[in-house]
Amino acid sequence: MAGVEQALRETARELLREGKVGTIIGYVRGSTPFRSTPAFIENEEEADRLVFDVTCGSNLARYVRNHGRDGRVAIVAKGCDGRAVVQYLSEGQLKRDDVLIVGVPCTGVLDHGKVSRLVRNRNVTGFREENGKLVFEGDGFEVTADREDVLADSCLRCRYPNPPVHDVFLDEPAEAAPDGLHWQELEKFEQMAAQERWAFFEKEFARCIRCYACRNACPMCYCEECFVDQSDPQWIGKGIDPSDTMLFHLVRALHTAGRCVECGACERACPLGIRLDLLNSKLEREVHDRFGYTPGTDPDETPAMATYDEEDKQEFML
Amino acid sequence: MSKPLKLEKKRFGEFVDVLLSRYWVFGPVEVDGVARFRRIESADALKPGFPGTVESPKGVFFPQMETMLTGDRNEAASTSGPEEPIAIVGARPCDARALLMLDRVFGTGERTDPYWTRRYRDALVVVAGCTEPMAGCFCNWLGSGPFGRTGADIMLTDTGDAFVVEACSEKGSGFLEQAKGLSLSEASGEDQSKAEGVRSAAESAMPEKTDVSSLKEILDRSWDSPLWDRLAERCLSCAACAYLCPTCHCFDIQDEKLPGTGRYRRIRIWDSCMAPLFTKEASGHNPRPAGRERLRQRVMHKFNYFVEACNETACVGCGRCVRSCPVNIDIREVLAEFVNAG
Repeated sequence: MAGVEQALRETARELLREGKVGTIIGYVRGSTPFRSTPAFIENEEEADRLVFDVTCGSNLARYVRNHGRDGRVAIVAKGCDGRAVVQYLSEGQLKRDDVLIVGVPCTGVLDHGKVSRLVRNRNVTGFREENGKLVFEGDGFEVTADREDVLADSCLRCRYPNPPVHDVFLDEPAEAAPDGLHWQELEKFEQMAAQERWAFFEKEFARCIRCYACRNACPMCYCEECFVDQSDPQWIGKGIDPSDTMLFHLVRALHTAGRCVECGACERACPLGIRLDLLNSKLEREVHDRFGYTPGTDPDETPAMATYDEEDKQEFML
Repeated sequence: MSKPLKLEKKRFGEFVDVLLSRYWVFGPVEVDGVARFRRIESADALKPGFPGTVESPKGVFFPQMETMLTGDRNEAASTSGPEEPIAIVGARPCDARALLMLDRVFGTGERTDPYWTRRYRDALVVVAGCTEPMAGCFCNWLGSGPFGRTGADIMLTDTGDAFVVEACSEKGSGFLEQAKGLSLSEASGEDQSKAEGVRSAAESAMPEKTDVSSLKEILDRSWDSPLWDRLAERCLSCAACAYLCPTCHCFDIQDEKLPGTGRYRRIRIWDSCMAPLFTKEASGHNPRPAGRERLRQRVMHKFNYFVEACNETACVGCGRCVRSCPVNIDIREVLAEFVNAG
C-alpha cells in the first residue's frame, strides 16, 4: 500500500504542477493513528501529506459537487467514492469534465466505531498492519485484530473495490469479495419472521439521536434541503418518538433506493453504531432484480428511478 | 468534610441498594452493545467498571425530548418530574463539571428552568474518577483533571478491589454519613495512599496540553479567520458533536397533535446550531447560511461567548466529539490552530 501512497503523491504533484486541477480531494493523516481526515490539497508542497490506506473511510465524493470553485477538481477515489461520482454523472449532478478521478485500489476501510469498542476507547498511539492483521497499541496495551473484526461491514462484502470509471489508476486493481457474499447478510435477515425484523429495526433505531451524521456523510443525500429540515410544511416530528425516527430512516432509504452505492459511510458515521445497511441493501436488491440496475457503475445508463418501461415488473402495485 | 471511606467492590451492590432506596438511580449500562446512561432498578444492573459512554449523561437531566405540557382546546397541564430525586452513579469528573455548567444556564439567576431544576437541584452526583484517559480526553487543557471534583458530590477512586469514597459536597457528605456502616468502612492510611497513587498515575497519563488561556482573546479577533473556511470544508455539518456534547444545551419547542385524541403536547427537544433550520427566520432568510457560520457559532459559543457571560469555557474536554466526529475534526487541533495562529 505504501507504493500507492507514493504514486498518489507523485500524481497529485504532477496534476497541480501542470495545472490540470486546482484542488485534489484526498485524505491526510488524522489526529489519531487509525483515522484519516478529508483534505483539499491545492499546492504541490502539500501533496506529500496525502495518504491512502485502511483508515480512509469517508466517502469523498460528497465534497466534489460543492468544490468546483477552484477550477477542475480531482478526487482520490476508492471503489465506492468512484461509484458515487459515476452516479452523480448519471444523475446530471456533474459533468465528466468537472472531475478528474484518481482511482486507488481499496482492500477495505476501518469502521472506527468498531475499533473504539475493541480498544475500549483507550488512547491508540500506534497502529500498523502486520501479517494480514491490524495492530492497535497504546500506553500499556496492544490489541491485534482480524480484518473482519474491524473493517466496515460494507467493505467485507464489497463488489467494486476499484472505481468503475477513472482518469488515472494507481497500482493493481483490488479483488472484489467472493461472489455470493454480497447479499449474504441481507438473505440471512430475510429469513427472519416479519415480527423479528420489525423488532430488530425498533431496537436499532431506538438508539438514533437524530444527529443526521448518516445523511450528511452520504454522498447520495445531496438535496439542497432535506425534508426533515423543512418547516413549512413540517413533514416530520422533530423528537425521538420511534415513529418519527423510523420515518426519517425509511424516507432516507427510499430516497436513496436505486442510488445507494453501498459505501457504508452512513454506518461508519453513526456514533451509536446503528445497523443502517439492511434497509438500503434490501432496496438495492429489489432494484437490481426488477430493473437490472446497479447504481454508480455506468455513467451513461439512465438511473432506474428516472426511466419507465412498459415491461417493468409492477406486480407490487395494489 | 467527612473522612475518606472504603467500599469493597464485592459490596458495591449494597451501596447501590442504599442509593436505590432513596433515589432514582442512573448509571452507564450496556444497551444493545452500547453503554448508555439509563435508569437502573436493581443493584446488579450496574457494574463497578463504569464503561465510558458515547453519549454524555446530560440527557438524564435534560432529556433529548421532554413533554412540557399536554392539553386540549380548553385546558393545559404541565407534566410532573421524577418521583424521587435522581442519583447518577459512574459519571466521569468531566460529566459532573458539565452538569454544574448547565446549571449555570438552566438553574441559576432570576429565572430558572423548572424542567431542569426539578431533576438537578436535589440530584446526587457520584463520580468515578478516571484511572485511564480515554482517546480524545483533554480535560487537563481546561483546568480540570481525571479526578476533578467540580460538580461532584461523591468521588470514587478505584484502587483495584475497592473504591476509596470521598464526599466532595455537603450533599455528598450527608449521604455518606447516612450510608456509613451499611457498606462503607473507614479507609485506612494504606487505602488512601493507594488512591493517591492511582490519582497521580492518571494525571501523568493525560496527554500533553496546549495552553489555551489566551483563546478567548484570540477568538475575539478571529471572526473572519480563514481557518473557519478550512474547517467548514471538511465538516459534514451534522449534529453528532453537539448531541454527544455534555454542555451543548440548545433546544427547540414544538407543539404536536396527539393523533386521534383531540389533544396536543408541547415538547422540548435538543436542537443544534449545526442544523440549517436553527437560525432560519420566518422570512426565509438565514443569518447563518452555511457550514462555515454554523461551525463558527459552535466554537465561538463554547470558547468565547460563554466565557464572556460565565467566565468559563462551555467545554469540559470530555473528548466525545473527538471520538465520534465522522470526519475526524478534532477540537483539540482546532483550538491549537487558533492559538498558534494567534
